[in-house]
Amino acid sequence: MSSSTQLTNAFTSQSRLHRFFSTDHKVIGRQYFFLSLAAVLVGAWLSLLMRIHLVWPKAAIPFLGEIKPENYLAYLTMHGTLMVFFVLSTVPQAGFGTFFLPLQLGASKMALPRLTAAGFWTALASFMVLTISFVVPGGPGGAGWTQYPPLSAISAAGPGQGLGTDLWLVSIGLFCLSSLMSATGFLVTTIKLRCPGMTWMRMPLTCWSWFVTSILILLAFGILLAALVLLMLDRHAGTSFFVPGGLVISGKMVGHAGGSPLLWQHLFWFFGHPEVYIAVLPAMGVTSHLLSVFARKPVFGYKAMVGATLAIGALGFMVWGHHMFVSGMNPHAGFAFSSLTTAIAVPSAIKTFNWVATLYGGKIRYTTPLLFSVGFVSLFITGGLTGPILAQPSLDIYLHDTYFVVAHFHLIMAMAGLFAIFSATYFWFPKMFGRMMNERLGRLHFWITLFGSYATFMPMHLLGIAGHPRRYSDLMGVQYVAAMAPLQKFITFAAIVTIAGQIIFLVNLFWSMRKGRLAEANPWQCTTLEWTLPSPVPPEGYGGREPGVNHGPYEYNISGAKEDFIMQDAPAT
Amino acid sequence: MPTIGDRVEIERRPKLGGGGPGKIPHRRGYGGGGDDGDRGNPEGFQSREQRMRRYRIAMTLCIVSVTAIFLLLTVVYVFRMGKGRFDEDTRRWVRDWVPLTLPYLQLWINSAVLLLSSITLELARRSMIKKEEFAAMGIVPPRMRRDLPWLGMTVVLGFCFLLGQVFVWNILRHQGVFLESNPSRSLFYIITGTHAVHLVGGLAVLLYAVAGRLLAAKFESQRIAVEVTGWYWHYLAFLWFGIFALVHFARG
Repeated sequence: MSSSTQLTNAFTSQSRLHRFFSTDHKVIGRQYFFLSLAAVLVGAWLSLLMRIHLVWPKAAIPFLGEIKPENYLAYLTMHGTLMVFFVLSTVPQAGFGTFFLPLQLGASKMALPRLTAAGFWTALASFMVLTISFVVPGGPGGAGWTQYPPLSAISAAGPGQGLGTDLWLVSIGLFCLSSLMSATGFLVTTIKLRCPGMTWMRMPLTCWSWFVTSILILLAFGILLAALVLLMLDRHAGTSFFVPGGLVISGKMVGHAGGSPLLWQHLFWFFGHPEVYIAVLPAMGVTSHLLSVFARKPVFGYKAMVGATLAIGALGFMVWGHHMFVSGMNPHAGFAFSSLTTAIAVPSAIKTFNWVATLYGGKIRYTTPLLFSVGFVSLFITGGLTGPILAQPSLDIYLHDTYFVVAHFHLIMAMAGLFAIFSATYFWFPKMFGRMMNERLGRLHFWITLFGSYATFMPMHLLGIAGHPRRYSDLMGVQYVAAMAPLQKFITFAAIVTIAGQIIFLVNLFWSMRKGRLAEANPWQCTTLEWTLPSPVPPEGYGGREPGVNHGPYEYNISGAKEDFIMQDAPAT
Repeated sequence: MPTIGDRVEIERRPKLGGGGPGKIPHRRGYGGGGDDGDRGNPEGFQSREQRMRRYRIAMTLCIVSVTAIFLLLTVVYVFRMGKGRFDEDTRRWVRDWVPLTLPYLQLWINSAVLLLSSITLELARRSMIKKEEFAAMGIVPPRMRRDLPWLGMTVVLGFCFLLGQVFVWNILRHQGVFLESNPSRSLFYIITGTHAVHLVGGLAVLLYAVAGRLLAAKFESQRIAVEVTGWYWHYLAFLWFGIFALVHFARG
């Protein structure tokens, strides 16, 4: 086709620089992937430092020396920020989404390519501003990824509360803009660029989850941006939104009066709770998709899955108060937040049921992506079961500031999210880089990570029930806490093993990029449109050809079909 | 597995015809005609319209997001107005909200200017629709009779509004009302300031449209810029009256 070759020529003649600052969604998707990889390495390194410090508070770390309490808080803040923003909400959505959303919909580009590119470069700037805070005087701020005032609002409150916190606020402000740009591109692409035949109910569940997540981003990140501006004004312009009067900090009375720290908590969590779903919905989409592919069965209850995704998105905006039960709340409001939070268990249970039912009776192919997807379901259940417990104000008041909560959100959000990221990486690697990842190494990586994450986070439930407070750098002087030191030591060893196990993944990733087995167009025998393209996807995507869709996304093992799967663009039967 | 097969059999067959998303394809080469040149010819009418629709949806989404920001600021305004602080000396709650005193004359003038700019932008949009037919045919759009430079006027009026806002802030400053004076004042400055920042964004796009010929932009791009910014601009005018109503009726 002449138009296709013209397109190819236009793409290959571009300079190296032009390809780097590309508006090609495939380039941007890979750039997001590597940005998150950098962030996850820093974040994991910080968690290692924290775990070592918790067990050996006086240990001298090479190049860093002894970790002081303020360092610990700074690491805590940066670990949370990097992992939540730059890993969990970046790679499943902006990374894989930017790469695969247009392809799965049968389009060769995003609807607003320049906006999508601008989104990535803003995210990179945001990441750089954040990491610079490691080297500025005072280091990063220590108010946690939630930045509760007054600690975050008063520069004199600690070494990192000056420039470090300013940089944090600027960085996350930029991240908000980046996410808004990216989400706008996603929504317009999904609404306008679906190829002929790709009806809403024929979209793969990955596309559905990217779509709903984009809506959440659009509504939530603007709120955070405005709240950040208010906090910045409190810090530098002398306003009093979040700082109460009469505070004495570092021996000096603050000049603010009449602000409310609770107001920040409401604003932050109104963003912060949807943010949890921004992180986990794409992971759910990927899991639903992969379970169907590798069980060689249609997704059980496709429409219920779509409905549950929408329900989780909607309910996600009504439950922010459950993060604030210990901050003081009208019991009636507490009751409302509590019941709504418990209600999220319903769509979550629908999804879990459907995942298990998808696997049931399937001809399961035990590949690495499948293992990680099943791992996601397992971790989602384990972490999810503690959700309704924490949704009860009376229980939450006891458990909220303990390791119980750490265990809960690390299992359901961090580990489950990570497992979905891994499964997506193993699954789409051939489409992104043209080669297969090593299965043997992948399986080894899976088992180490699965047992490692359970060994790390399961004992934290026990610590929490026994009353071990979270966030403190060193509680060895407290008798009942010191008695839990052996368990803490076990957790640290488990964490070290788990993180060391990720080296296998890195080796596999970079080795496979250069030396892996060359991938054919459709190595997993998958039905969705991106697998009709050669691996790796050529720069022009579908080129002049526009695919037409005649089938649903999960037609596996259809009776009467020649093979056990029917591509979405196969002729209508 | 026959049971699954049965389930998929009853899936609805796609309807024939049409070319938009969600419909069965009509491919170039068969069916004969009815293509409107939307596939092969990217300059064609269909693709122009589709590009416009993409930008319109993006703008709608942008407006949704901006609305979220202003809703948040309104919530903070109302919350902060009702909230007091506990006075340690008298052991009583005191309200610390000082009611706003606004320079109404200047605010009304600004409102009128913004409303006027909205009208001129609408006129600019309409004149551009007429010209586009010429542009699509590859003819330089002729200057039409009774066709004032509406777009340029909109930009000037936009700048006037911004200057007027600066003027309002100056009046308040001379009255000794600063950002940090009182929460009511902080919020007045923040909300009007945020509105002005958003207006600057719209103004930038309009400037692009005005200077489009110098920047060698396609007429089509200019028209899309005007069309889409139009929505945004009217929204900002609407928002401005909302803000005005808020600071007037909820002075405290």
